[in-house]
Amino acid sequence: MDKHLKDDFPVDWEDDHFVTRREFFKFLTLASGGLAVGTTAIAAYSKLPKGERQFEPALICKTGDLKQGSALSFSYPRPSDLCLLIHKINGDFVAYTRRCTHLSCPVEYEATNGAERLYCPCHNGSFSVAEGKVLAGPPPHPLPKVKIELRGEEIWALGITTEQEA
Amino acid sequence: MKTPDYHRRQQKSVVFVALMLFELLLFFIQIWLFVMVLENTLGGKTAMAIPAALASLGILGINIWMLRGVEHLKRQL
Repeated sequence: MDKHLKDDFPVDWEDDHFVTRREFFKFLTLASGGLAVGTTAIAAYSKLPKGERQFEPALICKTGDLKQGSALSFSYPRPSDLCLLIHKINGDFVAYTRRCTHLSCPVEYEATNGAERLYCPCHNGSFSVAEGKVLAGPPPHPLPKVKIELRGEEIWALGITTEQEA
Repeated sequence: MKTPDYHRRQQKSVVFVALMLFELLLFFIQIWLFVMVLENTLGGKTAMAIPAALASLGILGINIWMLRGVEHLKRQL
C-alpha cells in the first residue's frame, strides 16, 4: 500500500511530471473522443432545419406601383435589412434580400434583351431572378428569398427563406 | 545474457510504439475531419457532415480498441 502511494504521489518534481507512454496513449484516446463528439455535434447542427423564418407581415407596395421588368427596394423585417421586390418580365412577383452573399454589397436588378438577373456590381456576381441561385462570380450561396403574398392588389412580405446548397 | 523475458518485453515495447504512432496518425485524421466539417458547415455545404462524423466515430472506436490492447499488453508484462 505504501509503495503504491509513493508511485501515485511522487515527491520528486521530475517524477511528478513524468508521463508514461500508457498515460499519453490514454490522453490521445480521450482527445480523440472529444474530436469525435465535436464532429458529431457540428454534423447534427448542420442538419437542423433552418429553412423559413417568419416575421411580422409587412406591406411592400401595390401591384400597380411597379411596372413589369422593374424592381423596388424595400426594408424587411428591420430597416437595415434591404430587400428587392422584382416584377418579372413574365408578370410574376418575386423578392430577395438585397445583400450579396459574397461581401454584402447591394445587388441590382437587370433586364436586358429579355434576359433578367440580379447583379452585384462590386465583384461581378450574378444571381438568377427565378430562384436566387448563383449564376456567376464569387458569391458562395444563393440569395435568401423573401416570402411574399398577394392580398388583392397589395404585396405583403411574410418571412425569409434560406436555402442551403447541397 | 539476455533472457527470453527481456526479448519479450522488447517486442512488446516495439508493438506499443507502433500502436501509439498509428493512433497519432488517426488523431491527425480526426483533426482534419473536424476542421473540414466545421469549415463546410460554416460555408453552407452540409453533404459531407454526416459521413465525416461517422468516420470520426469509427476512428474513436479503433482508438478505444487499441487502448484495450495496450492495457492487455500491460497486464501481460
